[in-house]
Amino acid sequence: MTSSPAPKHVAPPADHADKARTTMQRIADLRAWLFLGFLILGFEIWSRMSFGGTFVFNPFNIQSIAIFAVAPLLLATGQTFVIISGGIDLSMGFIMGLAAVVAAHVVNWATPGLGFGLAVLFGGIVAVLVAAIPGFVNGFLVAVLKVPPFIGTLGMFGVARGVAFLLAGGTTVPVRNEVFATLGNGRFYGVPYIIMVTAVFVVIMHYLLRQTKFGQHNYAIGANAQAARRAGINLKWHLLRLYILSGMCAGLAGVLYAARFSAGAAQAGEPLLLDSVAAVVIGGASLFGGSGTIYGTVAGAFVIAVIQYGLVFVNVAPFWQFISVGVVIIISVLIDQAQRQFSGGRQIE
Amino acid sequence: MPVGEALLEMRNLSKNFGPVEALKDLSMMVRAGEVVALAGDNGAGKTTLIKAISGVFQPSGGQILLKGKPVVFASPQEARDQGIETIYQDLALADNLTIGANIFLGREPMRRAFGFLPVLDRAKMAEAAKSTMALLDFHVSRMDAPVSNFSGGQRQAVAIGRAVYWDAQILIMDEPTAALGVPEQRKVIQLIHQLKAQGRGVIFISHNLQDIFAVADRIVVLRRGVQAGERRITDTTHDEVVKLMVGG
Amino acid sequence: MDRRNFLGAAAMLPLTAGMATMATAQDQKFTIALIPGLTTDAFYITMRKGAQAAADALGVELVFQGAPDFNPVTQVPVLDAVIARAPSAILIAPTDTVQLIEPLRKANDAGIPVITVDTFIGTGIYQTGAGDADFPLAYIASDNVLGGRMAARALATAIGGAGKVYVSNVKPGISTTDQREAGFKAEISENFPDVTVLETQFNDNDANKAASQLQGVFARDSDLKGVFGANLFSALGAGNGVQQAGQTGNIKVVAFDAPGSIVDNIKTGLVDVAIAQHPAEIGYFGVVSAYAHLTGNSIPVSIGTGFTVMDASNVDNPEIAKYIYAE
Repeated sequence: MTSSPAPKHVAPPADHADKARTTMQRIADLRAWLFLGFLILGFEIWSRMSFGGTFVFNPFNIQSIAIFAVAPLLLATGQTFVIISGGIDLSMGFIMGLAAVVAAHVVNWATPGLGFGLAVLFGGIVAVLVAAIPGFVNGFLVAVLKVPPFIGTLGMFGVARGVAFLLAGGTTVPVRNEVFATLGNGRFYGVPYIIMVTAVFVVIMHYLLRQTKFGQHNYAIGANAQAARRAGINLKWHLLRLYILSGMCAGLAGVLYAARFSAGAAQAGEPLLLDSVAAVVIGGASLFGGSGTIYGTVAGAFVIAVIQYGLVFVNVAPFWQFISVGVVIIISVLIDQAQRQFSGGRQIE
Repeated sequence: MPVGEALLEMRNLSKNFGPVEALKDLSMMVRAGEVVALAGDNGAGKTTLIKAISGVFQPSGGQILLKGKPVVFASPQEARDQGIETIYQDLALADNLTIGANIFLGREPMRRAFGFLPVLDRAKMAEAAKSTMALLDFHVSRMDAPVSNFSGGQRQAVAIGRAVYWDAQILIMDEPTAALGVPEQRKVIQLIHQLKAQGRGVIFISHNLQDIFAVADRIVVLRRGVQAGERRITDTTHDEVVKLMVGG
Repeated sequence: MDRRNFLGAAAMLPLTAGMATMATAQDQKFTIALIPGLTTDAFYITMRKGAQAAADALGVELVFQGAPDFNPVTQVPVLDAVIARAPSAILIAPTDTVQLIEPLRKANDAGIPVITVDTFIGTGIYQTGAGDADFPLAYIASDNVLGGRMAARALATAIGGAGKVYVSNVKPGISTTDQREAGFKAEISENFPDVTVLETQFNDNDANKAASQLQGVFARDSDLKGVFGANLFSALGAGNGVQQAGQTGNIKVVAFDAPGSIVDNIKTGLVDVAIAQHPAEIGYFGVVSAYAHLTGNSIPVSIGTGFTVMDASNVDNPEIAKYIYAE
């Protein structure tokens, strides 16, 4: 390429992305972790003042909180991808229930033939694959038939729920497999297996979002779908894979649920759906799409878990637990709004 | 101004939408290092023409020749692969991504971390972004900031930079200054001069005659799908162009 | 408890009622609608089986229609649709004590007798002449206060009559679970002075949350001895919390309700004691009462069905196992 000088007067080189603003964005990106830090500090003080014990330096508390966070976090990682793309997946809760029921049935069915260990592997894989089916349908509705994600996944919410209840026969399906129960409740050097599985999974999801074309395109689509299409990204193919991914996240959550409670229940994920969306929002994602991170979502899930566990620990009357999570969500969204105004973000104008 | 070989030529291009003839027997040519302005009232066929050239849809009749050879584009991607890039007045960038990520959007470079794990090559993207933007006389130090942090003219420069990086020979610019303030418009006009100096061909669509007279070598005026006239900029005036546009 | 008496009564009732009205029954086929609190729960599925058994014995047609979740917003449209088809009588488990009054009054005004099963409207005391919500003919249910008391006795006995316990409950405002909690607390305070009942934890029917709450309570009160799960998921979650805390056997878990999976939970030690209701009896008595009324007989305004206490020692006994809810 030739680089002949411009013929006329040249404006002085400008760099409008001034340092202060970019630094503020960095801090804002980590706000969920800051929030989590303050929260833990608050509970520590509260705990010491109310009954003289420690909150955060009690390993039992940390472990209990981590176990509590597993299921909402698994849903929330998938939800993070969907929300970044500008969509939402309301069907995840019942896909999780469906997967839990399928895992319970398949593990029971396969145990006599395959033995304990292989039956668990087989049942887990089948359940996650089954969970991919409603994910595929969601993707088809959103990508090909152009149904708004809110409506399409709401429909799938009903379908997955009905199928899960049908398969479960309206009750919980007990699982009789020691290896499965160990996966759900066992420990390795004191660390529960379900936490290890979840940690590995979260790292993979972080990689997928941060370091692959899929993740990069996901951000682009959330910010400006038209630009992404013009850049040659195949939107349909992307959205199809996206909703399959979120379905499979819910599937993994369902398998771990069935392992932990030795039972598959169709309504297993129902109360978790809103918690998972809340975790993503507290974690810094915008419901308008285009922003969000897995590490933020991890913090968001822990914020919810710490509040709910901590309030029990310091013995606060139960109704405050509902109120407090609601208040945290509202504060998070307000911070998000304020940050956008400050940094002049454009995508929600 | 050096005017080179014919880069892109349209011969008797037509496009029907059912009974409606949006474009009728249009012929025009763009040479290397030449800016051709496309003018006309709303509905004159400008958008239809550029969509046909950029592969959004195929013409009903006529021929497109690229460097003398007939070409058919089944998709915008094919047109892009052949060196024809379209730059829109808006909707062109993912605001939440960096300049580098926008330049490489859809064609991201990968590297292997730890020798096996494929990851996005952000360093390469940032480096390419920096050198490309420097080529457009636009110097940025913070390559990790999202483009939403930049001004409108700078964002337009990013869109142009993307075309330059991928070595587009023909740039179709649809109202590139429409959404900008006056100083920013001037900056974009200047960018177009640079593209011209680099030997690229530019099709420049604008409502703004001032801009057209500032940057174009020739002007092609469309009216109701047919060519109403073609003039060298040095041989015409605002009044004449307006007359051609409105007819009479 | 008085389970045997009820069973005896159950055997007698259809015979007497049936004989008294044989002629009418042959002329006219009654349709009785059963609207459960939700259709996807083993408790109501079992209730339906009892109702169906009575319906078959009496030659009555049973219609089973309901909503998939326990919510007046979804139950009322189902009720309206059922009323529109003008059944001979309606058996319903109202999902709210207040919100179902007016919708059910429509049925009553249309001349369709209403009997509530499992849950109730108003105060649950009917035919008093008080006016507002006393129009249903009968309330047939487990005595949930009694069930709560039985849970308290079972838990207090399991922990040796002393120590800290708490109630893991769904959410406030559900008549049955509220009554169980009230019965549990009343029994402890009256008869077990050495047992302390801590603050109730509400889990929104989320086993994950119930587990976490148990761990939180245990982290604060390490001398926690027992927990009463007022419904299935409360108990499953609390049981898992005990397991996660490594306190299996040290913290006793009493569960309310007995779906099929409870057997495994008792055997693996997740749950120590389960209080089984008798939903089949509720369904049975519901249909029989409705039939008796339709054929001109008087019926009791309130029928309480019994409970069965299940633990590892008796759960394999067929006489006990028959009270496990149908799948």
